[in-house]
Amino acid sequence: MIGRTSDREADAVPPPRFDVELVALTKRYDRTLAVDAISLRIPRASYCCLLGPSGCGKTSTLRMIAGHETVTDGDILIRDRNITDLPTVKRGTAMMFQSYALFPHLNCLDNVAFSLKMRGVGKAERYARAGKFLELVEMEEFALRLPAQLSGGQQQRIALARSLITEPRVLLLDEPLSALDPFLRVRMREELKRLQRELGISFIHVTHSQDEAMALADLMLVMDQGQIRQAGTPRQIFEAPASVFIARFIGGHNVLPTARGLVAVRADRCRIDQAGNSAPFSGQVVAVEYQGPVVRVALQMRSGEQAAALLPDNTYFANPVHPGDPATLVWSDADAHPITAS
Amino acid sequence: MTVLPLAVAALPRLRRIGTASRRLPPWIVSWLQVSPLAFVLIVLFALPTLLFAVVSFWDYDRTGIYPAFILDNYRDLLTTPATIRVYLSSLAFAVIVWAITLFLGFNIAHFLIFHVRSAAARTLLFLLCAIPFWTSGIIRTIAWIPFLGRNGAFNQIVMGLGLTTKPLDFLLFSSFAVIVTYVNLFTLLMVGPIANSMAKIDPALIEAARDAGASRWQIMIEVIIPLSKTGIALGSILVFTQVMGDFFVVKQMSGGQSASIVSTLATEIQAMQYPPAAASAVVLVGFVALLVAGMMRIVDVRKELVK
Amino acid sequence: MMVGGQSYQTAGRGRPWTFYALAALFGFFLLFLYGPMLVIYILSFQGPRGGVTFPMVGTSLVWFEDILKPGQMANIPVSFGRSITLAAIVSLLTVAISVAAGLAFRRRFPGSGVLFYLAVASLVMPSLLVGFGIGLGFKALGLKTDLFTSALGAQLTWTLPFGLFAMFAVVNRFNRAYEEAANDLGATAWQRLRHVTLPILLPGIIGVAMGAFTLSYDEYARTTLVIGERNTLPLEIYALISSATSPTLFAIGTVTTGVSFLMIGMTLWRILRLQRRRAGVVPS
Repeated sequence: MIGRTSDREADAVPPPRFDVELVALTKRYDRTLAVDAISLRIPRASYCCLLGPSGCGKTSTLRMIAGHETVTDGDILIRDRNITDLPTVKRGTAMMFQSYALFPHLNCLDNVAFSLKMRGVGKAERYARAGKFLELVEMEEFALRLPAQLSGGQQQRIALARSLITEPRVLLLDEPLSALDPFLRVRMREELKRLQRELGISFIHVTHSQDEAMALADLMLVMDQGQIRQAGTPRQIFEAPASVFIARFIGGHNVLPTARGLVAVRADRCRIDQAGNSAPFSGQVVAVEYQGPVVRVALQMRSGEQAAALLPDNTYFANPVHPGDPATLVWSDADAHPITAS
Repeated sequence: MTVLPLAVAALPRLRRIGTASRRLPPWIVSWLQVSPLAFVLIVLFALPTLLFAVVSFWDYDRTGIYPAFILDNYRDLLTTPATIRVYLSSLAFAVIVWAITLFLGFNIAHFLIFHVRSAAARTLLFLLCAIPFWTSGIIRTIAWIPFLGRNGAFNQIVMGLGLTTKPLDFLLFSSFAVIVTYVNLFTLLMVGPIANSMAKIDPALIEAARDAGASRWQIMIEVIIPLSKTGIALGSILVFTQVMGDFFVVKQMSGGQSASIVSTLATEIQAMQYPPAAASAVVLVGFVALLVAGMMRIVDVRKELVK
Repeated sequence: MMVGGQSYQTAGRGRPWTFYALAALFGFFLLFLYGPMLVIYILSFQGPRGGVTFPMVGTSLVWFEDILKPGQMANIPVSFGRSITLAAIVSLLTVAISVAAGLAFRRRFPGSGVLFYLAVASLVMPSLLVGFGIGLGFKALGLKTDLFTSALGAQLTWTLPFGLFAMFAVVNRFNRAYEEAANDLGATAWQRLRHVTLPILLPGIIGVAMGAFTLSYDEYARTTLVIGERNTLPLEIYALISSATSPTLFAIGTVTTGVSFLMIGMTLWRILRLQRRRAGVVPS
């Protein structure tokens, strides 16, 4: 499909398969290359998480899609429209800011109705529509309150309503849950997922928390230094991390040098053998951490490497080990996945 | 659900909708926003300053002034003992007033920021200090006359309490009166910036110092004073330049015993002797510029104010 | 305004001795600040036959009435009106110019350094010299100095740096995300300015307006050489001082202070109400 299609031909053209497409998207700030020619396709109505450490380029990518950063090179397509040069408002995206950015001088209703006011919609109509979106996020009773009178979780819901009223094709969320306490975080996670399903649009969610990304994403992208290191479902990535960086960032993996090369083995698939002293994976227990359903036993192996095993509590307490005890890390071959160094 | 290989970059791209940023580049927007300020500062400040710098080289006599380039005005100015005397006297006032306002200002700021616990009380007390500023300097200066005079309130109180039998003469129309008035007028210029700097000090730093065993005095020396440097420098700049540039207080309160640089200048201006006045002005500006530049070495004013 | 509040905790719940010493110093300072002013307030009620110092010879409002009579030496009510008008104009101009400049300085643009130091220079320049330069300029151009031209300009060189630095503090606290959110929701640049940026900055802007008003109203050093023929109140008082001393002067002082109080009190109250409403303390 090249160029714009006229209305007559619209029927002959199949509907766009992807909500968002990035084509060699690049962002350079003076000398620093923040986003390095990334390419990506996000299918219709999927929950996509951009995951990575600070400075990996995930937020820059998000902001370029939103239109709050200019693009150095490459293209952004939203449902087959090349929106790279369009101003924010014409893109069909809406952004939820990390700080929520609710206008402090307006009450919730006015905040939510803001975009309609900018478009010149009359007061009665825009208040009616804003009211509906407040109901969607279950905040109708707070319509006349000011943002300062709301808790963090409540503010976030207002921010959501405010973005959704613009009926975006893609909702962009910039670390939306990091300001919330752990319990609220889990609750809001469920809400976000539910909303995304109900609305049938794509969400692009930036986070540095792998738990969050794995819980929410249909498509997960792990980024580092401006590039996408691995993309796939959370399960695909967790089962088979592509590189040492991913294995370490995702967590819960041991990276071990074997005769066949580097392998990644899930820590919960490892066990501790107190006998057996000859393997290169023998060493000493350095820490034992009780985590509730599992116990984490950390080893310092003779090869110099550190590794950990996550044992179900029954298994551990049947044969407890303590720091200083000799131990060997064991696992089955089927659980070892070859991995590249970078 | 795939990541495209980079080869996709070679695929024909959809033509972009919309033109590349019809928006103005950001620095032009800034220039437009700042142009009224630039206009006022250049036309009403920079150019006039340049003008009197130019006039300082002109010739003059009893009938008028004549464009020229002579250094006579400067020579006359810098070789007259009166000039040196006046500069030293102004400088002496400035230093004394600076020291007193620094002591007062620092302690008051310290009291307000570190000893007053409730924010409401702090705002109230700070307001109390600031209220006198809402009255013109002229009135606040002459207010001292009935206060310090022979029959003034202070003498009446002091004699009433039996501390002296004769009214104190030195209080008014003396250097003492000048200094007292300056301190009254300008202490707030110290309190404000210093309090501002102190308020920005992270309380965790003080707690960490206390944890490490520092006494309150050591905390003051090692933590608070260094971190209030900016406020101290700003306040000092303000106080110094106000004292050196004053013409009214000295005239009113010194009883003719002292002159100020600017009041001498004002007299020349009244007499329409612009070139020597301009030369005097240039020298004063140079002096003040040196002082301010010196103080700005201690503190990066731009970073502090704009940050 | 100030955030501070970290205080010294002592072992008990009491205060360290320095608190009392500093409190005493503070009290002395307040006395020192207000003492002379109180004398003026009291003396303005001086009896008709009393002089400019104590003792009080009866009390009266004679000197207040004297203000209203245009004497040969001074015309107080008229100059008061001029001062208020000039202060209002200066205040509006300062706000408009400083707000725009404050927004501009959020980025580094070519010439921002020069402009910044120019503003600092304008602030620390001895006031009379500023008037001198402007006076020379007007003379060179053959223009007459006047209240609303040269005097206005001279006052702006004093109020604008203050306004600018105040706006720096205000704008620094302003979260850029508000503007981005406004963009996201479809606001044009003007809509953004009108509906988001300015309303949020409003308390700070009111503060700048009030500050500029006071600075202008009390100003005498910058304007004295370029005021032309129509004096402002401080300059009228200045003229009075050199010619005659009577308790009228004190009555004027009392009234001027009262006016300042009123203006600033009202503005502060408005700002407070705005801030409290936005903080959610008072239901809107």
